[in-house]
Formats: sequence, structure tokens, C-alpha cells
Amino acid sequence: MAEKLSAVRQSRGRSSESWGHNIKKYWPYYLMVLPGFIYFIIFKFIPMLGSVIAFEDYNIIGGIFNSEWVGLKHFRALFTYEDFHRILRNTMILGFCKTILIFPIPVILSLMLNEVRGLKLKKAIQTAIYIPYFLSWVIVGGLIFDLFGIGGLFNNVRNALGMESILVMQKESWFRPIFVLSSIWKDAGWGTVVYMAAMSGIDPSLYESAAMDGASRFQRMRHITFPLLIPTIITLFLLNIGNFLELGFDQVFNLQTPMTYSVSDIFDTYVYRVGIQQAQYSFTTAVGLFQSVVGLALVLIFNKLSQKTSEGGLW
Amino acid sequence: MKAKKVMALVLAGILTVSAFAGCGENGDPKESGSKSVSENGTVELEVWNCNTGFLPCEKDSELYNFYKELTGVGIIQPYVEWNGGSNYQQQLNLKISAGEMPDLFLPVNGMEADLIKNGALLDLTDILPEKAPHLWESVPEEVWDIVRSYDPTGEGRIYGVPNVRGFTVYSGLIRQDWLDALDLEMPTTQDEFVEVLRAFKEDDPNGNGMADEIPTGGREEAKWMDHLFAMYGLAMQEGAPDWDIYDGELTYAGVTENMKDALQFIRGLYEEGLLDPETLLNDKAGWEGKINSDRVGVCYHWAESATAFSEAMKTATGTEPDWAVLPAISAPGYESFYTTKQVTGLEWVVKNTEDEAVIDAVMKVLDAYGNPDLWDDFYYGIEGMHSEKVNGKLQKKADDKGTQQNLIINPANSLADLEFKVEMFKDMEAADESRTWALDQAIRDLEEVQQYGKVVAGDGMPSSVYEGYPDILNRTLYVEYASKIITGEYDIDKFDEFVEKWYASGGEEVTKAAREWYAKTQ
Repeated sequence: MAEKLSAVRQSRGRSSESWGHNIKKYWPYYLMVLPGFIYFIIFKFIPMLGSVIAFEDYNIIGGIFNSEWVGLKHFRALFTYEDFHRILRNTMILGFCKTILIFPIPVILSLMLNEVRGLKLKKAIQTAIYIPYFLSWVIVGGLIFDLFGIGGLFNNVRNALGMESILVMQKESWFRPIFVLSSIWKDAGWGTVVYMAAMSGIDPSLYESAAMDGASRFQRMRHITFPLLIPTIITLFLLNIGNFLELGFDQVFNLQTPMTYSVSDIFDTYVYRVGIQQAQYSFTTAVGLFQSVVGLALVLIFNKLSQKTSEGGLW
Repeated sequence: MKAKKVMALVLAGILTVSAFAGCGENGDPKESGSKSVSENGTVELEVWNCNTGFLPCEKDSELYNFYKELTGVGIIQPYVEWNGGSNYQQQLNLKISAGEMPDLFLPVNGMEADLIKNGALLDLTDILPEKAPHLWESVPEEVWDIVRSYDPTGEGRIYGVPNVRGFTVYSGLIRQDWLDALDLEMPTTQDEFVEVLRAFKEDDPNGNGMADEIPTGGREEAKWMDHLFAMYGLAMQEGAPDWDIYDGELTYAGVTENMKDALQFIRGLYEEGLLDPETLLNDKAGWEGKINSDRVGVCYHWAESATAFSEAMKTATGTEPDWAVLPAISAPGYESFYTTKQVTGLEWVVKNTEDEAVIDAVMKVLDAYGNPDLWDDFYYGIEGMHSEKVNGKLQKKADDKGTQQNLIINPANSLADLEFKVEMFKDMEAADESRTWALDQAIRDLEEVQQYGKVVAGDGMPSSVYEGYPDILNRTLYVEYASKIITGEYDIDKFDEFVEKWYASGGEEVTKAAREWYAKTQ
């Protein structure tokens, strides 16, 4: 297998050997790839051509082919939108929160979980932290509004401590902390799954020899588990950064109120107002395209960076 | 080199395939969709309208036969989830882009403008008076003029049947029994009104010994508290500022001095705790939960909701409340009214076709829809499924989405007048005397609120005036500023900044379009 793969690699370098020859020689491999290839063509690449409606005034009667071509009109509309800097800023800030504050939590959680000795206790904790992932944001949003409402737990505690009730859901300054905390509560547990899997693949003899050399539990975590997790972390980080501007409509929409628009209005909620509610398909596509291009650029940049600084990136 | 050729071939392949895939989407709307005429000569129509979860109507089902008897046409309605209209709109768009537009349907969110421009809808101007005379007569002439103004080509043709409500529906509602319990008079001035609110808050009108009363309030986005805005002569519907004549010109109520003063007043109520502190966080369930748990003194809703609210509270708490009309109270220097809009958009549009049989069938349905003699039948639906005979009178059964088919033709809600509405409530009384106490409230309130209603100048304005300015249509800016001013987050002077921003972010253009539209209807 390895030999043949290296042969494939070599043959690419030699211009004398043509593709056709290569295909003839290794046709079973090409045959195996074919279904996946067709899948991507049909379900990923062809629909991508639909993105041309970002450059048209799409209407449902004319369809993709008979709608008026308007060039960059929708992109201009987006960039000259009155509150463009506001939604861009909010999206970036929440994106940074997601990458810097939320992303590391599953790593820390799984490192801690890995040190739990009792198997039953470990399973119980894992189940408990997985559960919130399966609730939809509509439900979680409702829970959060109740939690912070008058008569909710938060204000009851405040009242018991002799403080006034405060409606934090309508306070700008509370939105970002609530966004971060609710993300962690809901998704961090589920995020540990991949890391736990990666950790179970670490050779136990490494720990044994380290223990024999007198390494403490913390040292073993610091010098064995964590370094071996880094490739997984980088992969997940790169996959994550591609969605930097796509924070997910559900969470923000279900947590925001008009009083917190100034910090919570992001591309996705804006697109919802403008595009989906009014069936402005072209404009919505333009915004989506913009988000994807930024995401792609970030993935390329960070992939290069990680290739330079560590063993490798996504590819 | 070869690799490049292969790539080129692949790309060409993709383009060809996608070109074929796209072909289905641009069929001529006039020709697509075949008509099925059943053996006995009945034309069948596909009809789409709001369905909030009832059963669909297939061929030869009970409702199919019921409608066939009334209209002579076979009506088929597939199940389309409504979901606030957004899912309906998506499904409808999908159907239309596939060239399978329903024959008769409810357009949403101003989608008709695009369809008319593309020639996809049937021009009804000449055929309605001829082939659906009942409908033509049931809708007032001035309302047809409004419909003519919807024609985006500016030629004043009629492309749809309007949803008409020729009377005042909304009203401020106040707990008459609370007033009586505290020995208070119905307030007639703003000062008296505020005094009443204070008494509601402090004097325990619900008599449970706790200060849990909420004098008044509303819902998130400053919705459903129009009784407070109304004091300042503001045109407003369910919290959305509307259009009326201010300073002699058609103007968006949200940017007037009236609005500034109204917000100042409401902000005062909020600060004093007379407005539910959670007003701007209440969703429908939250706010109505408070209303129906005997805690709210004054609210804003449909006048006929008095019955529903009273019965819900009796079930929940055992108390029999009396929800009376709160008069439109004028703030000093202003003339108060409850906003009335007779036309709330289009109820029906028809697919463009040249098939005479189909046109005739559609006209038969529309004529029956506009025929007052048939409104009772459409309202009560099928005896046994939607209604039952009690004391010899037909009586609507409770909604049961598992067994009832969707009554899609509903002139009682989209065409009938006040008289018909009141008759309906009286019929319910005759059927079940134990409900009289609650039903009487709706009848009394419906009749009483009419004197406070005023048809605003923006009545019937199409949402196409907002085209290109979704944030104005969604009142994003207004809601943000209004909410923050009410909660005290913003100073009242911020209102001027809002007005400036509103005009700069498209309000100017929308106002212009709105005034142009208004000129056309005059």
C-alpha cells in the first residue's frame, strides 16, 4: 500500500507518465474514489454554482438563468449598509470570544476528565456534560430568560442577599458573558468527545515509563497527554476558524433582545431580518459568500502558520 | 497539460449537468401545471392559505365535498406548515420556482409585486365584476381603489382580493371589576388614568393580600401596549408604528413629536413601576399568562379577546373578571384614537392562466366567498366535524387539529362586517347559556370601541414601499431606541438622534414612496 502510494506521488512528478497511464495502472483505487468524487460534484460543487445568484436580482419566476444580472450590487449594499461596521464588529468580537474563550474549554475539560480515576464517576460526568448539547437553542434560550427573569433563580438569589432585581437580558454589558457561558454550558461537554478519543489512542507504555521515572500526574499530563493532543487541537482549531464569521444564528437570535442589538446584532441575525423574512435570496447569498471567503482566507492563513510552527496543518 | 485538459472537461461537464438541472426552474408560469378535470366535469383547484395545524383537504374528502356543494368547484389543499408565515412563504416560493404555482393562494410579505411584474398573476379587473358579482359588491369601492394602488406597473389594475375588516378590532381593555372593587370611576383623562394605575398597584384589587398586581404592560419590542401610545394620537398596530397625516403630510408615526412625548410618558410609567418591569422581555405566552392569572389591570388586545381572556382566567383562577373597553384617553394637547385599518393586505391572488374553465372555477369560488348568504356556512364548516347542533342552533366545536380539516375559505375573518361578528357571538350565547357572562363582554366591547376607532391614512399601504429597506420595515432601529428609552437606558433626547438616523438609513426614500402611494389612492 505504502509503496504504491509513493509510486503515485512519484508519478505525479514525472511529466512523462500521463494521467491516463496512471489511471490504467491503479484503476481499482480510482474506482474506489469515484463514488466520493461524484458525491462531491453533485452535492457540493454543482450547488455552489448557484452562488451566481449573489450577482443577480434573483426572482422566483425567472430562476437562476433569467434573473437580471446586477454584478456587485448586493455586495455594495452590504458594505454600505448603515450598521455594517456594527455587525462586523459584533461578529468579530463574538468570533474572538468563541475562538479564545470557548475553544480551549473542551481541551481543559477532557484533560481533567482523563484524570478521573473511577470509571463510573467518569462516565456519569461525561453523560451529564453531554446532555445540554442535545437541547435546541430555542429551549436553552427560554431557560436562560427564565433564569434571569423576575422570579428567576438569579434574581431570587440577589433578593435574598438584599440586592435589587436586575433584568440582565436587557443590559448590553451582560450579553457577551451570557453568550460565552451559555456556549460553554451547552457545547463544551460534547466538544470533549474527539479529545477523549484521541487520548484513548495514546500508548499506555509512555505513562508507565514516565511513572517509573518519577513523573507526577500533573507532569504526565503536561508532558505526555497535552503534547500528543496538539495535532488534534490544531485540526479542530483550523476547522473552527473557517466558520469564524458564522457564529450560528440560533444562539444569538434566541438570546438577543432589541435592547442588546448594539452588541448582539451579527451577520446571521441581519441576514435573517433582511434575507429570509423577505425572501431576498440574492442578498442572503452575497452575505453568505462574503462570510465563506473570509473563512477560507482565515483557514489558509492559519494553515500556513501551523505548517511553519508545528509539524503540519490540515493538508 | 493533460491535467488541465481533464480539468476543463470536468468543468464543462459540471456546467452542462447544472444547465439541465436548472431547466426545470424557468418554465413559463402561464403554461405549467396541468389542470385536472374529473370525470363528472368538476374542475379542481389547488388552494393555499393559512393553516395552523389542521388536516389538509384531499380529493373526495369530507371538506372537499362540502366545498364542492357550496362553490361547485373541487378544492384541494395540501398541508403547508404555517409557522408564522415564514415556512409557508418558503414552500410557496419553492412551488412557484418549480413552475407549480397554486391556482388560488394567499400571498405573504408583499411577494405579489414581483409576481405581478413577471405576469404570473391573473388580472382580475374586468372579470371580477362580471363573474364574481357578490364579491365585487361585498368590498367597498374605496377598498378596490386601494387594491388598484398595489399594481406595481402603475396601471391601477386589480390583481387580488383584499383582506377587509370594516370595523375597529383593537381596544385597550381594563378590569372593570377591579375599578368596582376599589370604588374607582372609569378614567377619562391621562391624570385619572395614572391614578387608577397607582391604585391598582397599591390597593390590592385582586384581593389576595399580595402586591403582585401589574397595573399595565405589554410585550417585547414595545408591542401590544398601543393604548399608551394611542393617547398621543399615534397610528399604531400591535406595536408597529403606522402611517398617518402629521403636520399635513403622510408621515411615519414612529418619527413624530407625538412619539417622543409618548415614549417620555411610558418611560415615566416604567420608572414608577406602573408598567410591568418585564414588559420588554414578555413573549406572547409570558404576557398572556400574567393577564390570565388575575394580575394585570390594563392591557391592549382585540376587543373580542375579552371573552377568551375572561374564560381563561376563570379556568385558571376561578375569578370571573370583567374586561371593559378603556376609552381612548387623550394626553394634554393630543387627540387620542384606536388605530383602525380596513385593509390588511391581499387575501387571495389567482395564478395567471388562459384556461377558461379554470378561470370560471376560480371565479365561482371567489363569488361564493363574497356572498353574505354563505358566510355562515363557511364559518361553521361541516356539522359533526367543525360544529354541532346545540339547542337547535349550530355551534362551533373546540378546535381539534387532529380531526378537523382546515377551513381555508374564511370570509368571517377576512371579509365579514361587525354585524356578522356580533351575530356569531350571539349564536354562541344561544347555544350555551353558561358562557353568556363572558360572551357578553365581547359583544359589549366590540360595539363600544367603535366610537374610538379612526381609519388611519396609511390604511392598506402595501409593504412594497419598504422595498430595499428591510430594517425600516422590521422597525429595527425604532424598537431598539424605543426599548432603551422606555427602560431608561437612553435619555429621551436620544429620540432626535433616532429620527435623524431613521431618515438617513432609508426613511427618506420610504417616506417618499409612501407619499407617492398615498397620492395615488386619493
